[in-house]
Amino acid sequence: MSFKKKGFQVSFSWLFAIIAGIFILFLAIYISVKVISNQSYEVDTTTAKEIEILLNPLETGFEEKSSTTMTTATDTRIYNHCYTFGNFGEQGLQVAQKSFGKWSDAGAEIKFQNKYIFSNEIIEGKNFYLFSQKFEYPFKVADLIILLSPEKEYCFLNAPEKVLDDSEVFPKNVKLIDCSSDAVRVCFDSGSNCDIKVNMFSETVEKNEEKLYFSDELLYAAIFSDEEIYECQVKRLMKRASELSELYLKKAVLVKQDGCDSNVDGELTQFADLTEDFESSENFRILERFMIELKDKNDLSICRLW
Amino acid sequence: MVNKKAQLKIQQMAFMLIAVTLFFILVGLFVLGIKLSGLKKQANILEDESSLAILSKLANSPEFSCGEAFYSGKTNCVDEAKILALKNKKEYFEENFWGVAAIEIKKIYPEKKSIVIYEDNSQSKKYNSNFVNLCKKQVDSDGNVYDKCEIAELLVASKENEI
Repeated sequence: MSFKKKGFQVSFSWLFAIIAGIFILFLAIYISVKVISNQSYEVDTTTAKEIEILLNPLETGFEEKSSTTMTTATDTRIYNHCYTFGNFGEQGLQVAQKSFGKWSDAGAEIKFQNKYIFSNEIIEGKNFYLFSQKFEYPFKVADLIILLSPEKEYCFLNAPEKVLDDSEVFPKNVKLIDCSSDAVRVCFDSGSNCDIKVNMFSETVEKNEEKLYFSDELLYAAIFSDEEIYECQVKRLMKRASELSELYLKKAVLVKQDGCDSNVDGELTQFADLTEDFESSENFRILERFMIELKDKNDLSICRLW
Repeated sequence: MVNKKAQLKIQQMAFMLIAVTLFFILVGLFVLGIKLSGLKKQANILEDESSLAILSKLANSPEFSCGEAFYSGKTNCVDEAKILALKNKKEYFEENFWGVAAIEIKKIYPEKKSIVIYEDNSQSKKYNSNFVNLCKKQVDSDGNVYDKCEIAELLVASKENEI
């Protein structure tokens, strides 16, 4: 009995070529995946920087309030970060975009100090609403930027006259009538089934069982932003108010040398200290009186500082 | 004899593999070089756009603007006393508050004078400028306070990355 062994013979060069081919192919796939992910990281980072640049013209100058829309090429997620360290704190922006139905990892964080963006921590959409407003306390401190996602509708109920006057510049998703059933209900002073309660007398906004205090122009910022973002940005605003108070004190000295006394040095020094020690929005209750006093004194001066 | 032939083939294949890998590395380096120069170019464009955008709003920012301290020339009006005070406020420049490489004011008329508010130590800068009113309070011999405004140029520089 004999067995004939039949084998499949592969020459060495074929075997080597197959192994080398597989190696090169995998290397190419790995590099392509890396390049694509790097590219999406680059696009996300560039978009974040471009958003920062786009926000510049929004800062109103002499206009009280203005609004506009911002459209991105694909569905975009904007991460709003706020930090309070240093003399002015920092505003951070990170962007992630949807490609092939999947969210990319967020790009590098773009940080800047001279802007104050009030929003939720993550805002998602393609067409974003931007609402900007001047913030004076008692001198102009900054322009506030309120960033809203089109996916959330807000319904203002029993809005007071002051709010109704601003309705012309409200973004499209802020409604006073014909609200949808899933809209966020914002009740002014009274109302039922409210998601957000605004008390115009005590200047407070209640949401998610937390109370935020506001000062006049910060009303919309308190309504539309997350509690943490609001508290952080307000603290940053007060840091800048403190630095500006010191700048006005230096200006007062220079103006006095030219023979023009503004007479607000005492109040300004006190205001600089109070704003520097600002801890949370609750401090507005103490600060308000000093702010009004300072404003009145400057308004009456022949050599007004601001 | 067979052994020698196989060894030769291994050598041939090894050289081929090294050559192919080297080729891919070179192509990769070439592509990376082009991409990096593109990135730097894009970074420069973004820096420049940013400085232009800042220039347009700087004159109206609270650290520069006249506000309601003067009775005329509200838009694009820079308060001279404020900028002289700002020059000595290192807090703004330690953290580069506006994110620019330099800020300067050049008086044009009636007198010519330059006030450098801030300048970092970067080698290459690109300047953009805008015309502004430069105002200050003055007191005449009778003790009356009046506003003195001059024409000036506000210059803002962005950092230039070397390509």
